[in-house]
Amino acid sequence: MYKKMAEEQEKLKEIITPSNKEVIVICEQNKGEVKPVALELLGAGRDLANKLGGKLSCILLGSKLDEAIKKLIAYGADNVYVADNPILENYQTLPYRRVIVEFLESFPLPPHIVLLGSTTTGRDIAPRIAAHFETGLTADCTELDIGPYEHTNKMDPDKVGLYPGCLYAIRPSFGESLKARILGPWKNPQMATVRPGIMLPLPPDYIRKGEVKTISVNLKPEDYRTELIEIVHEINKSVNLTEADVIVSGGFGLGKADGFDLIKELAACFENSAVGASRKAVDIGWISYQHQVGQTGKTVRPKVYIACGIAGAIQHRVGMSKSGLIIAINKDPDAPIFKFAHHGIVGDLYHIIPELIKQFKSKSSGEKEEKSLVKQG
Amino acid sequence: MILEISRITMANIENIFVLIKQVPDQSAKAGINPDGTIDRAKAKRMLNPFDRFALQAALHTKKTYGGKVTAISMGPPAATEILLEALENGVDSTCLLSDKRLAASDTLATAYALHKVIQSLGKFDLIFCGLQTTDGDTAQVGPQIAERLGLPQTTYCEDFKIENGKVIARRVVEGGHETVKMELPALITVANSYHPLEYKSLRGARMVQNLVRNKTELDKYIKTVTLDDVGADPVKCGLKGSPTIVARTDKVSELGGSCIIKQGLPVEQMVAEVIGGTNILEFVR
Repeated sequence: MYKKMAEEQEKLKEIITPSNKEVIVICEQNKGEVKPVALELLGAGRDLANKLGGKLSCILLGSKLDEAIKKLIAYGADNVYVADNPILENYQTLPYRRVIVEFLESFPLPPHIVLLGSTTTGRDIAPRIAAHFETGLTADCTELDIGPYEHTNKMDPDKVGLYPGCLYAIRPSFGESLKARILGPWKNPQMATVRPGIMLPLPPDYIRKGEVKTISVNLKPEDYRTELIEIVHEINKSVNLTEADVIVSGGFGLGKADGFDLIKELAACFENSAVGASRKAVDIGWISYQHQVGQTGKTVRPKVYIACGIAGAIQHRVGMSKSGLIIAINKDPDAPIFKFAHHGIVGDLYHIIPELIKQFKSKSSGEKEEKSLVKQG
Repeated sequence: MILEISRITMANIENIFVLIKQVPDQSAKAGINPDGTIDRAKAKRMLNPFDRFALQAALHTKKTYGGKVTAISMGPPAATEILLEALENGVDSTCLLSDKRLAASDTLATAYALHKVIQSLGKFDLIFCGLQTTDGDTAQVGPQIAERLGLPQTTYCEDFKIENGKVIARRVVEGGHETVKMELPALITVANSYHPLEYKSLRGARMVQNLVRNKTELDKYIKTVTLDDVGADPVKCGLKGSPTIVARTDKVSELGGSCIIKQGLPVEQMVAEVIGGTNILEFVR
């Protein structure tokens, strides 16, 4: 029986979907400064391009981009396709979409892969590009790879075949502790958005050479149907999750919105801290979306992460598992969070957190006394 | 800071569409297989939590600027449950696209099918969608519909007003927000930092109670359509029309397993031991 199955598999015809083997990263910038996620994508894209034997390229839209171009080449780009135009200074869906779509259409053969950051910008424009080209797009990936795929599904006979060089777009999937490998080898470009803060940039090499090509900008009247009125950067320490040394997060286990007062009080014990939350706590309206950590919120890597009343579903874990020290407080000893935290306390967080606060306060004043004693001595 | 909504307005809103989806309730244990996958037949069903914000946005638009709200969904016949819920909340009519040929649709195929439904329903001013669903988590279908319909869009919208026939929408971005002015018709995906859905009206609840007892009356409020009814090409739907496939799911390997757990001791002692076992005091103010 196995032999028969093997024979059947051998019969699969190899199908090469037309592409120029290029891996393209659509880069984000702000005032000419390349966003970190673009450099991370170049790190991941370099590996994919090497495996495909193709070039790694960038599409960069904005204004005053000379420094950004140099940086992208230093971080691994072979080609930088640039639309440098004051009209493109800030991201706007329709103009950016027009420029990118028209540029990609100018390729005699489509690129193999197009990657974007899974940011508010990337998630705004990637689906539009994918829908325009009627090609596959996988959201919010945490791993990427290249490999073959054998499609044997008889329900869909037109697609049966062996496809080499597929993009493996890997993401945490519905349900707990699963990750899904999503493929779309039937059409190029194969597209994915990638979560910020996960891929590693290459060490920069400013001696590297790369080619720079200008993208033409031909906007149409319908691209001016939106107008950006203002951009506001909020300087709010309690939500600056990506830069905090210590994050104290609350989840559904808090039981009520007021529970976040206690979370804030604990966070206030630390020097450079922020308040985080699980999606359940955000969905139920206890705290705003800006605080959300996890798959659909922010990915964070603080030195210390204290999870209070958070079960630790995969969606949360992927957003914080790279934290230096993870301390979990939960009343359920079987909560998944205890599988990957470093230290855990099983019990009622309304008893444990006040005790933590009390001990931190006494320790910090104690330490100060010690220091002053040393000075006197 | 919340945008002030001006009630005196030039806006002449006639038709508002809101797209909603029924998803498995992940917090319920029923229908969750031991391997973590979902048995959709057994799982408890619910309205996608993100769509509650979209519903609120649609109903708010109606209340403030006028017009009628139509809730649109795609799914099996059981999805009428969420359409009834939408009616209870005050939408004027609903439409369900239900067709076996839609099975295994990915986001591209879903957006294709839904845009055909929207076209079949006629003229509209605004389409609201939830930011994303809790079962797919992609946030792709809204913008893909906007692309198919050639509409301007605002994603991650957390507040908006309509002035002189244009939407002024505030959207969340990394580290702040931005404000965009858009011509109508347009599509908006609503962030979960928008206002939560208000309580159901007694009138809506009563009306639905009566509807469920009267099939012919019910059909006036829930229009069920197939791919043929909306002129959708079946080849662009379902498995055939989906350019992506879930090729494999892997269990994520259990991480570490080296957690030092304190349990059953006096709280004071457990806390002291955790503090003593880590470098956490370095970060205390």
